[in-house]
Amino acid sequence: MAVESTFIRITPAQLRWRRFKEGVGLIFSSPTAVLGLAIVLIWVFIAIFAPYLTQYTPYEQDYKNVNKGPSPQHILGTDHLGRDVWARVAFGARTILLLAPISVGVAFLLGMILGLPAGYFGGWVDEVVMRILDSIMAFPTILLYMIIISAVGASPVNVVIAIAIGGAPGIARLIRALTLDIRTREYIAAARLRGDRPVHIMFREILPNCRGPLIVDLLLRIGYAAFYIGTLGFLGLGLPPPTPDWGGMVQEGHKFMTTNVWPVLSATVAIVTLVVGLNLFADGLREETMRYQ
Amino acid sequence: MARYIIRRLFTMVITMLVVSIVIFAVVEIAPGNVARNILGAYATPEQEKSMENQLGLDRPVATRYISWLFGSDWQAERKIGRPLKEIVIQQGIVERFRQWWAVDEDGSLVRWGIQDGQLYKYIRQPDGSTVGVPDEGAWRTDESGIQYFWGVDNANRAALWIKGQGGVEYRYEYSGWRKSENAPVDYIPLTKGLLRGDAGVSLRYRAPVSELIASRLKNSGILAALAFLVSIPLGLLLGLLAGLNEGKPADRILSLFGLVTTASPDFATGIFLIMIFSLWLKVLPGATVFASQTAILDNPKMLVLPVLTASLVEMGYILRITRASVVEVVQSNYVRTAVLKGLSRTQVVLRHVLRNSLLAPITVIMLHVNWLIGGLVVVESVFGYPGLGNFILNAALYKDVYAIEAASMFLILLAVGTQLIADIIYSFLNPRVRYA
Repeated sequence: MAVESTFIRITPAQLRWRRFKEGVGLIFSSPTAVLGLAIVLIWVFIAIFAPYLTQYTPYEQDYKNVNKGPSPQHILGTDHLGRDVWARVAFGARTILLLAPISVGVAFLLGMILGLPAGYFGGWVDEVVMRILDSIMAFPTILLYMIIISAVGASPVNVVIAIAIGGAPGIARLIRALTLDIRTREYIAAARLRGDRPVHIMFREILPNCRGPLIVDLLLRIGYAAFYIGTLGFLGLGLPPPTPDWGGMVQEGHKFMTTNVWPVLSATVAIVTLVVGLNLFADGLREETMRYQ
Repeated sequence: MARYIIRRLFTMVITMLVVSIVIFAVVEIAPGNVARNILGAYATPEQEKSMENQLGLDRPVATRYISWLFGSDWQAERKIGRPLKEIVIQQGIVERFRQWWAVDEDGSLVRWGIQDGQLYKYIRQPDGSTVGVPDEGAWRTDESGIQYFWGVDNANRAALWIKGQGGVEYRYEYSGWRKSENAPVDYIPLTKGLLRGDAGVSLRYRAPVSELIASRLKNSGILAALAFLVSIPLGLLLGLLAGLNEGKPADRILSLFGLVTTASPDFATGIFLIMIFSLWLKVLPGATVFASQTAILDNPKMLVLPVLTASLVEMGYILRITRASVVEVVQSNYVRTAVLKGLSRTQVVLRHVLRNSLLAPITVIMLHVNWLIGGLVVVESVFGYPGLGNFILNAALYKDVYAIEAASMFLILLAVGTQLIADIIYSFLNPRVRYA
């Protein structure tokens, strides 16, 4: 060993670990984000271990106890069909925590496909994409969902599609704006000179460098998605009835509120805590990254 | 400035055009066909096919889109060879319906039909009744010798009859299905088109959609106006308070309040308010049941909870924007100068902070109509309030296609229009935007 390098060598694995530590550090430096994360993790825990946290399934009907308040057998009471409210809340957490991230993921794919070329190529591609996005953004969000769901019917897949279509324009605009900035950088010029194809430049050079703002935006959007999944359920456009769905529970229990508030109260508290938790987490993280920069 | 407005108007027209294509595509072309939505699950394939023909759904998509937007009467006039006229018939005070007639050479209004295998012309009399006369001479002959006739039938459609070859028509009426032979073989439903003010007839209420929308628009307008009246001043005031006390307990509490009210779904806010004020304290009614669609203001107590729900969400939003804006202004150099100059705190707040920090929230509020519409749908649904939001939700649930199309076009035009006005006002206030 004649010459010892003065540079510290970092393997890609180490780099990833460092970035991960930075990210975790970012979360823990914001009390808001920690509080939000804690609330969300409680719901994630309930969703994962739902079958162990209750002795009932969300579909079982106890005909002798219909629309009853809390009792030792049913800690949150039963709904109008005699189903255990706690079981439905716990299994409902699975529904919403599964559908919200999936729909944001699909929205991200759509937004990426539209936003990257619009920002990278500019010109008429940009013009066409932006006009389409403007038109979709002209729809009041709930109206757009209502039109789509009423046309294709209410099902988990359709709810995901509707929420993805509603969320894609925002993500596409963000990616486009970031791309407009990044494409003027030297490493993009270098990639062009090496003869990389546009697809390669967009997905391997530009997209990874959009990561920071994009992650915060996607986290915020999971909160919005949960918000809208609940709202669609409440409007009767969410998941078809027997599925445990918080919005749907409120919709069904709404009529019986004067005799038994427990189904409605439990589902409402559930959705509010989850959505507020997701928002606190994303908001805290956003403020922290802004300070970081 | 004129160029800027023209450019914005042009993009708005393009946007609305794309919006109309999207709505039409989603509602009418997407899986789940319109005829089946109208007929329900128990119709036979023949009934469905006949219905599709009668509604003109078998025509090419482009033709249907153009008819929906610009009307089909001019297309039908070309085939019939006579001018067509739409008349409004008033029955009692509320019930009104529209009828299409052809105008004959002598100026009388006529329709046609087949009776005992013969073509009859029905002439409308001044009292509204019709007199039928045989009109066998009206048949035309095409190259292959088939005798055909395009006319107006008794259900507001241009219809094609072919002599000796009657189609089978299934009509769905109040009493049930009615099957008739000797019916037309092709139809063009007559409409003036959305752009000429004809939004079609609601499949659910059997009344012109435009009139249904108009009556509910007023109710929603009252709700939205009251919500704005409550939320804007309160939101600005609380936002200012929070921003001036940045980091202190007052700010923490107000910010958390703003976050919770904006983050929780509107229906959850409404449900909580119902639980508190109507189930627990029993001071306010938890649903809005009005004696008639127009008697909204007769019972102000019923308006309290819907208005409160709508304004809480809106208020939280305004609070958050105002707070952010105030925090930014407070840190600016001119405010520091004002403080160092020795101005009192009240003077600094009133003369420097307030003026400069209000611009952002006010423009954002104007851009917010889009969001408010979504909120109204939910709030009206929670309280059963007879407004436009509830109307469009029911239209979506019952697949009342023409009502969905017209109401959404109207709401989006409203949103895009206010956005345009907000942009123009903003460009007056901030010249940099104009040349961007």
